[in-house]
Amino acid sequence: MKDYEVVIGLETHIQLNTRTKIFCSCKADSWEDEANTNICPVCSGLPGTLPVLNAEAVQKGALLAAAMHAEVNPLSRFDRKNYFYPDLPKGYQITQFDEPIGKGGYLDLKMADGTKKRVRIHKLHLEEDAGKTKIEHGTRLVDFNRCGVPLIEMVTEPDLRSGEEAAQYLIQLRQLLRWIGVSEADMERGHLRCDANVSIRERGSQVLNTKTEIKNVNSIDSVRQAIGEEAKRQIELVESGGKVESYTLDWDADRNKLSLMRSKETEADYRYFRDPDLLPVKLSREEIAGIMAALPELPLERQARFVTEYGLSEYDADILTNERSLSDYYEAAVGAYTGEPKAVANWMMNDLSRMLNDLGKTADQLVLGPKALAEIIQMIDDGKINAATGKSLLKKVEESGSRPAEIVEKEGLGLIADSDALRAQIEAVLADAPDEVANFKAGKESLLGWFVGQVMRRTGGKADPKRTRELLLEMLRK
Amino acid sequence: MSLTSLSAFEVARKVKAGELKAVDVAEAALAQIRAVDGLPGSLDGGAVSADEEKKVHAFIQVTEKMALEQAEKVDQAVARGEDAGLLAGVPISIKDIFCVEGTTTTAASRMLSNFRPPYTATPVRRLIDQGALILGKVNLDEFTFGSSNESSAYQPATNNPWNTDHVPGGSSGGSAASVAAEEVALSLGTDTGGSIRQPAAFCGVVGLKPTYGRVSRLGLIAFSSSLDCPGPLSRNTRDAALMLQAMAGVDPKDSTSSTRAVDDYLSTLGQDVKGLRIGLSPDYDAVYYPNFETGELHKEAIQKEVHETLYRSAELLAKAGAEIVENVPMPNTAYGIPAYFVISRVEAASNLHRFDGVKYGYRTESAVSNLSELYRLTRAEGFGPQVKLRILMGMYLSAAGHDADYYTHAQKVRALIRQDFVRAFEPDGDHRLDALLTPTTATTSFKRKAVFGNSLLMQYSDQMTVSSNHAGVPALTIPAGLDEAGLPIGIQLIGNDFREDLILRIGHAFEQVSRDEAWRKVRPQVLAGEVKA
Ligand SMILES: [Zn+2]
Repeated sequence: MKDYEVVIGLETHIQLNTRTKIFCSCKADSWEDEANTNICPVCSGLPGTLPVLNAEAVQKGALLAAAMHAEVNPLSRFDRKNYFYPDLPKGYQITQFDEPIGKGGYLDLKMADGTKKRVRIHKLHLEEDAGKTKIEHGTRLVDFNRCGVPLIEMVTEPDLRSGEEAAQYLIQLRQLLRWIGVSEADMERGHLRCDANVSIRERGSQVLNTKTEIKNVNSIDSVRQAIGEEAKRQIELVESGGKVESYTLDWDADRNKLSLMRSKETEADYRYFRDPDLLPVKLSREEIAGIMAALPELPLERQARFVTEYGLSEYDADILTNERSLSDYYEAAVGAYTGEPKAVANWMMNDLSRMLNDLGKTADQLVLGPKALAEIIQMIDDGKINAATGKSLLKKVEESGSRPAEIVEKEGLGLIADSDALRAQIEAVLADAPDEVANFKAGKESLLGWFVGQVMRRTGGKADPKRTRELLLEMLRK
Repeated sequence: MSLTSLSAFEVARKVKAGELKAVDVAEAALAQIRAVDGLPGSLDGGAVSADEEKKVHAFIQVTEKMALEQAEKVDQAVARGEDAGLLAGVPISIKDIFCVEGTTTTAASRMLSNFRPPYTATPVRRLIDQGALILGKVNLDEFTFGSSNESSAYQPATNNPWNTDHVPGGSSGGSAASVAAEEVALSLGTDTGGSIRQPAAFCGVVGLKPTYGRVSRLGLIAFSSSLDCPGPLSRNTRDAALMLQAMAGVDPKDSTSSTRAVDDYLSTLGQDVKGLRIGLSPDYDAVYYPNFETGELHKEAIQKEVHETLYRSAELLAKAGAEIVENVPMPNTAYGIPAYFVISRVEAASNLHRFDGVKYGYRTESAVSNLSELYRLTRAEGFGPQVKLRILMGMYLSAAGHDADYYTHAQKVRALIRQDFVRAFEPDGDHRLDALLTPTTATTSFKRKAVFGNSLLMQYSDQMTVSSNHAGVPALTIPAGLDEAGLPIGIQLIGNDFREDLILRIGHAFEQVSRDEAWRKVRPQVLAGEVKA
């Protein structure tokens, strides 16, 4: 068998998280709402109605374009894509055909082996979503709730080479969408949908062979599996002397199976032309500058900075930049803390992330803010509390909302570092153990640890261990 | 003078002054409709009696209850001492292409014969807010596709009140006829290639196509979205100014509506025209038909009486103090119809996609076995032949591969046509016009069935009007005489962007200077026997 490589391009539809739809004032997100409850004459295509562009959709679309390193076009236009389907009430979809909001762009993927892979963007434009249809008891039902929900359609160049790479693209795109706040990017809810174009060729070849399109690969696992299945099918077909045909395939995620939807040759002519109901979208130089200014530092940039600025390992920096609020939290905590940034990283990657998991929260939703975390670590460093108390404080602050120092004070959790108080406790311990004192004095200095333990037991663990050791030595050698 | 002969301006004045009850105005209009309109248009309206042949048939639907309720409200407001609005108590008809809550909005098509919109078009809403009384929905060519009213699915189609053997023009034929027959004082029409002005000229009334974007299109069932303009039909220029005043202005729900402040059209209407520069163009002296084999243009002179009326009108305006500028070149006028043919049909085909039997409107009653059959049968049964022709043309012209040949090319022609107007109006150009004076139509109204069926010839009756739709500029038609057969002749004043004030003012000056001409005493046939005061 020859050595084949798989060539993959992904077409994604991203639901922008605007408050209202793209051309009317209906609520945009209809998750779990009754069918046809978020509709109006505009988005249900009544005659005489006209679209009015939602500025928030343009802002978010432009922000995404900027985050993809695409050029944000100062002038873009809307076109009509004409076709008949019951979920498309106007009989045309308003989309951007030849003058879209973004031009070019790429997403750099970090791969498991630490290398980077650049995936170029072929197309990035704004459009409206269509509704949904389903067949129930032999009747076709239509739900227009989703009609007019703002989408970004983003198509990659055929730059991906395996199901795993495609999965990584989706994972990192999802991270980016949430990072810049333009989409909830929840694949289960259809905020991020994906179709995959797949072809094969002999490794080393540069030709693009006939591709098939797999529809509805709407989870990370589906992308991985469907592409794998399809590549295998194509290779077997070609090896057995067959020829790949330009099919559209459907991925059934329940049965992990591909099925033929239609042959591509029957593809419709959409008769695109400018939508005369909408003005061109103009973004001034100032507006574009404003969008670029609003663009936060992106995950990969921040990860690199964490390594150089805070001396974190690649691994730690990666985990801490997985999600924007976590990395923001980290930086705020480091800023409030005088010790090593690595110490904060350790706390966040262990105890704090466990707490986030248990509570099902993101870092920005915690009551325990970054300053409180810094304060707790600082108290341990300063010998005011011990590490165990520090850990227990995390939960106490989160539940009560009080400052860590207040809780320590109120509950008496502070260490006994006061010399007189500690001296009294030590004297009591020494008085109770005349034999051990004698042995120590006779040269058995290894007993020091035993004395420290006794003091700890007497004080319920609140004795400052460092100070206790110093005082013990002082008093035993007297 | 009978109540129904009163101008809108007079009605509103008297109603607001308490000299006249809006309810009486409504009753008088309803009585006039009963007297002259005959059977309303209906889907199965076939042959009619000889008596009905002599009726106007402007209305598809008379909204008696709505009109009386609105009149009641106006009278109450007047009684309370409130401002009852610019159009207090003025009877108005609405072309049945505008959505009006509480009415069936048919577009004169079987496809929408059962469609009851849940909202009211912005221009209609604004008329109602200014105290207008909505008397009903009037007939038109199906989906506004025609220039004679004959393509309406609602028959009998409207007749010309001046001679009921003739067409009223179209597509706003019902609007023009209802105003001419004094059933209403005003009508709301739409103009895509001449659909307000051509029927207004044929019926001897005033019609104004405002600047594109001056009046909101929200609630107007779209024909060709980049060309459609709602506008007034009236019996004089003051009434047109009044109605425009009530409707004009930005609509946040129509992105293509202009944000420019609305002028006070009434206050400048009475000013004289001394020193205003009015142009005449030789390019409006003839109609050009292309030979489809060779692409060559054939020239056909316009009707002699129309030409004479135009030049006589220019002399009258000169007498009133205007400066007449001859030989203004408008070289791209001849290409207006071919470009319109392409643009309007491509947009229309797309605009008509939504009528598929799924959500509202007509759905085939035959059993269907699949979705595409539902679409096919619904559209085959729901649309009339003119509509199907336009869809087929539009589909063909916008098909992949054809786009660059037709639609893009037509858009370039459109830009050239606009350039003609820009040059003519340029303040420091060769001509420095305030308005261009042209015939509104090449001929007076034609007989029923004389042109219908020849959709090409029908289309060319818009040659004098279509350029201002391409350019987006405002254009006004006013009656200027009668031909030998006693049919009205219209002249057209085309102005620069948003200069409705100027063309209305010139039109008004023409009304004053021609006030005592004999033709002004002649009444339409359907009003014969009534004495005009
Ligand atoms: Zn809506």
